[in-house]
Amino acid sequence: MRLLQKTNRTYFLISGTVFIIAGVVFFFVIGFFFKDQLNEKLFHDIRNIRRSIEKNGILPDYYPFIEIKEVTRQPERSFKIIDTLIFNAFEKRNIPFRQISLIRIINGKDYFIAARDTLLEEDDLLEVIAIVTGSVFILLLVSLYFINRKLSLKLWQPFYKTLNEIKEFSYDKPGFKLSSDGQLYEFTELNKTLEKLTQKVISDYQTLKRFAEDASHEIQTPLAVIQTKLETLMQYPELKKEQAELINSAYVYTLRISKLTKTLLLLTKIANDQFPEKNTINLSELLIEKIKMFEDQIAEKALTLNKEIEPDCIFDTNFFLTESLIINLIGNAVKHNIKNGIINIKLEKNHLEISNSGEPLPVNASKLFERFYKTDKSSDSPGLGLSIISEICKLNKWNVNYLYEDNLHKVVVNF
Amino acid sequence: MKILIIEDEKELVGAIKKFLEPEGFLCETAFSYLEAEDSLSSYNYDIIILDLTLPGGNGLDLIRLIKEMNRKAGLLIVSAKNSLDDKIKGLDMGADDYITKPFHLAELNSRIKSLARRRHFEGSTELIFNEIKINTDSNEVLVNEKILDLTKKEFEILLYFVVNRNKVITRESIAEHVWGDNISYADNFDFIYSHIKNIRRKIETNNGRNYLHNIYGLGYKFSDK
Repeated sequence: MRLLQKTNRTYFLISGTVFIIAGVVFFFVIGFFFKDQLNEKLFHDIRNIRRSIEKNGILPDYYPFIEIKEVTRQPERSFKIIDTLIFNAFEKRNIPFRQISLIRIINGKDYFIAARDTLLEEDDLLEVIAIVTGSVFILLLVSLYFINRKLSLKLWQPFYKTLNEIKEFSYDKPGFKLSSDGQLYEFTELNKTLEKLTQKVISDYQTLKRFAEDASHEIQTPLAVIQTKLETLMQYPELKKEQAELINSAYVYTLRISKLTKTLLLLTKIANDQFPEKNTINLSELLIEKIKMFEDQIAEKALTLNKEIEPDCIFDTNFFLTESLIINLIGNAVKHNIKNGIINIKLEKNHLEISNSGEPLPVNASKLFERFYKTDKSSDSPGLGLSIISEICKLNKWNVNYLYEDNLHKVVVNF
Repeated sequence: MKILIIEDEKELVGAIKKFLEPEGFLCETAFSYLEAEDSLSSYNYDIIILDLTLPGGNGLDLIRLIKEMNRKAGLLIVSAKNSLDDKIKGLDMGADDYITKPFHLAELNSRIKSLARRRHFEGSTELIFNEIKINTDSNEVLVNEKILDLTKKEFEILLYFVVNRNKVITRESIAEHVWGDNISYADNFDFIYSHIKNIRRKIETNNGRNYLHNIYGLGYKFSDK
């Protein structure tokens, strides 16, 4: 629900309730005062009639407003206020009257004296009040709606501006700034807070990125020392088999860490967009060249390689990253293949598809592109190949997808 | 042949020296920018190994100095940064080769020797090991004066062995030298073994001796001892 809708709804509910209560109160108050006035007037009339009878002995009769009768039988002295219906010949219906009556002995005779006046009809009163309050209510709502709309649009304009700007915010784009027009305290504060928050996010992100990069660099030198020391140790001619095996195992794991940090560094650099240079690349040729690099491993596993490469697919992008992408794609297809399996490599103008035979994945394919995700926990590879692929594709705004079809693992890149 | 190793990590310098000195290289060291400046202005070197991240200054500035003072020296840059940027910058400024940390000592040795050959310091592009002659210009191998028919990869492996003769060379180092980064996807190194088997067989058909020895699980050693 939008803010304006919400305020309008609230206004409508509150003013509606207020007007209904006000209408009811009006109805009773007006009714009460009217009857009070009527009573006063009728008393006044009766006093006048009595005086007129005493003075002149005339019995005025303005039926139904004044009625005077000589009554023979003397009932107990009485004074009555009643509401009664009297037929009106004009309107041909009964009309409500208030009547004040008493019986008095004037000049030795008993008189019944009644003064009457029409009562306000409650239906009419209700109708009038409903019409008046209703129209005031509608008038109020309409004016409120327009005032609100105008005011909202004007008042909240800086808010919507900020909202649109903050939508553009991305933590890896430094130099984010909100265009504050600084008129209203609340919005200036909001912008200030948001700016502080985004700057914190950006600086935290930068620190994190720098940390990853620095850590990878710092690890390389000690690793280089360890690796060269182990290689020096290997040179001793009197090494026993057991010692050689120990050295070898330490060596293999050292190389593994070194690969890992290099890969992490690559991922960090891709995220940092540190590959700005663009080269004109003939992807078809690059692909053929890289496939050649894997010849030995393909032969080793006795894989059947099917190539369908459209010649001269030219791209304008970073060479180093494209090379990494291709190596990772082919490497994955070779590594996760089975003995005597198949590799299909298909390149069209805007479409690269590499598929390999293999068992279906035991788990959700959507996790495949996550860092350090391995389907086989005991595997030597750290599970970064596919995340490099996805990062490179993301950087180039290429679309990469994994699917399992006809017993083949397929990775599809749409350029 | 005189080599200057400019590198602040003393442990690494020690290992490099120990590996290179038996090869007949005379190694001097500089652990900081200032020491390097000092050495470069006082002596002439044939080959300079330069680490770009040095205390006291930027390694790239040293390249300028090297080009002024030691114009003939072959320059090999070592960097912890595997960045194309630094590589291109270094090579543009006149460095001859670039190697990233951590590296295999055998790989470093092979790069230095290739640098030395390219600069004709040994007067020849021919490597001789008993009955084996390798011409690095024509990529030809002669065993007992008969041409050995090797594939490109076999040639590269044999050259790597001969350059690193009498050293234990790991399979990982061979794999990286010949196949580059692609090798991180290998499940095992059996395919290297089949290439080595072929080299052995081909040398033996030319009546050459088998110099390739398996060293336990570590790798190989090319040696006549």
